[in-house]
Amino acid sequence: MGTADDAGVYKISDDLALIQTVDFFTPIVDDPYDFGRIAAANALSDVYAMGGIPKTALNLVAFPLGSMDMGVLKKILAGGIRILEESGTVLLGGHSVEDDELKYGLSVTGFVHPDRILTNQGLKPGDRLILTKPLGTGVMNTAVKAGLASRDQIQEITELMATLNRDAAKIMTRFPISACTDVTGFGLLGHLAEMVAGTRNGVRIFSDQVPLISGALAFAEMGLVPGGAFRNRQFRGGMVSVGDRIRPALRDLLFDPQTSGGLLMGCPENRVHDLMSALHDQGVSSTAVIGEVSDNHPGKIGVV
Amino acid sequence: MDIDARGLACPQPVLMTKQAVDKDRPSRLTVQVDNEASVENVSRFLGTRGYETTSTGQGDLFTISARYALKTQEEPGSTATAESAPADPVTDSREKSQKILVLIATDRMGFGDDDLGQKLMISFINTLGEMGNDLWRLVLVNNGVKLTIADSPVLETLRAYEKQNISIWVCGTCLSHFDLLNEKQVGETTNMLDIVTAMQLATKVITL
Repeated sequence: MGTADDAGVYKISDDLALIQTVDFFTPIVDDPYDFGRIAAANALSDVYAMGGIPKTALNLVAFPLGSMDMGVLKKILAGGIRILEESGTVLLGGHSVEDDELKYGLSVTGFVHPDRILTNQGLKPGDRLILTKPLGTGVMNTAVKAGLASRDQIQEITELMATLNRDAAKIMTRFPISACTDVTGFGLLGHLAEMVAGTRNGVRIFSDQVPLISGALAFAEMGLVPGGAFRNRQFRGGMVSVGDRIRPALRDLLFDPQTSGGLLMGCPENRVHDLMSALHDQGVSSTAVIGEVSDNHPGKIGVV
Repeated sequence: MDIDARGLACPQPVLMTKQAVDKDRPSRLTVQVDNEASVENVSRFLGTRGYETTSTGQGDLFTISARYALKTQEEPGSTATAESAPADPVTDSREKSQKILVLIATDRMGFGDDDLGQKLMISFINTLGEMGNDLWRLVLVNNGVKLTIADSPVLETLRAYEKQNISIWVCGTCLSHFDLLNEKQVGETTNMLDIVTAMQLATKVITL
C-alpha cells in the first residue's frame, strides 16, 4: 500500500491481510516498568490505527550491559509483557544488542480483513474529526526533564501514554470511519497534514475543542516546547493557517510530538453522535470532536 | 547579564534563563542559543516574566536581547520586583517619555491620487523618526505589510528604526493573505492579540 502510514500491509487471502509495524525509542520516563508499558502501547498503536487486531510481537532491546543492572531490563520487559497481555498479543521472542544507550520497542504483527483496512487517506467532505486522547505529552515530558512537573502530573501522563488504543479501535471498527491514523511524532497538525496533503479536502480545527493534558498549556506558555514541535511546524507550517486569536502556546501544542498518542479519525457527520456515545461508554473519556472536513480549501488546515 | 546556552537541548536554555531571572532579576540580559526553537522558548519565557525581547541571528547563533519592562501587566503585584531591578538610564528615559504606537493599514497616505499617496507615505515613514524616543512601535497591517518587502522604498528606514529599538510589527495573517510570508525583510511577525495588547499598553495610538 502506498500511503504514508507507519505500518505495512500484506494481503494473504481474500479475507486476511497482515499488518506489520515496528517502533522503539529511548526511555521517556524514569520507571523501567512504566517505560516498558509505554513502549508496548506505542508499538501496538499502529495496528489499531489501521483497523487491525494485534496478534504477535517480537521484542527489540538495546542495553548497556556494562553500566546498567540487568534488573532494569527485566522490569522493562515485564512492563511490555503486561501491555501485550492486555491487548491479547503473544510475545514470540526478540533480539537484543549491547549499546551505550538503552532502547526498547517491539515489532508487532496484526490481522485485518483486506476490505476493512483503514489508512490515513479517505477523508470526505462533511466528515467530523475525532481525537481520542488529549495532546501534550511532548511538552509534559519536557517539563519532566526540567524538573517542573508534579508527581501527579507525571503519574497522569504515564498512564495516558501506557493506555492502549484498543478500546477506541474496537468501537471504531463498528462505524463507517473514512480514515484513521494515530497521533505520534508529527503532532496533531503534522499527521492531519498527511491526511489532506495532495487531496481535494481541507480541514478546519476548532482549537477550543481539542483536548489537552492539564498543565500542558501553562508549560508551553513558559517556553517548555520540545524542538520536535518547532520542526513539525517548520515542516508543515505552509499548509496550516492559524487564527489571529490563537495563542502561540496553543498552536505549539497542536504541533507537539506525541508518544503513544490517540487515534484521529474521520466519521460521517450523521454518525458522530453515536460514535461519541459509544466511545464514552467504552471509557475512552477524553474523546472529542475537534474539527471538520470540507472541500473549500484543498490540502489546507485552518485552525480557528 | 549574558547567558550562553549554545549547544544545549530543550529545556536547558529556558532553565538557565529562569535561574538567572529568579536569582538576579537583571534589568537587561542577553541569551545566546543555537536554534530557533530555543529563541521562541526563551523569548516566550522572558515575556511571561515581564521582559520585552528582540532577537537576531541565523544559522547556529541567535541572540535574544531582553529588557525588563517596568510597566508590564503580566505580573500584577510585582512592584517589589520592579523596584529591585537596577536603575537603567535608557529604560528610565523611555519610561518617562510617551509610548506612541503607529498603526499603518495601507501603503499610501490618504485617498485621492495614488501616486501622491505613495510619495506621502514614504515621506511620512522617513519623518516619523522625528518623534524620537516617543516612537515606540510601528504596526503594519493589511496593505501596510507591503512596506516591509524587498522593493519597498522605506525598507532601509524601517531597518534603521528597528536598530533604534523601535519595534516593527508585521501582521502575519496579512503577509500570508498576500503570499508575502517569505518576502518580509524587516520586523517581526505578529498577531491580533499582540496588536490589541500593545494598543492597550501604548500611551497614544496613531492610525493611518
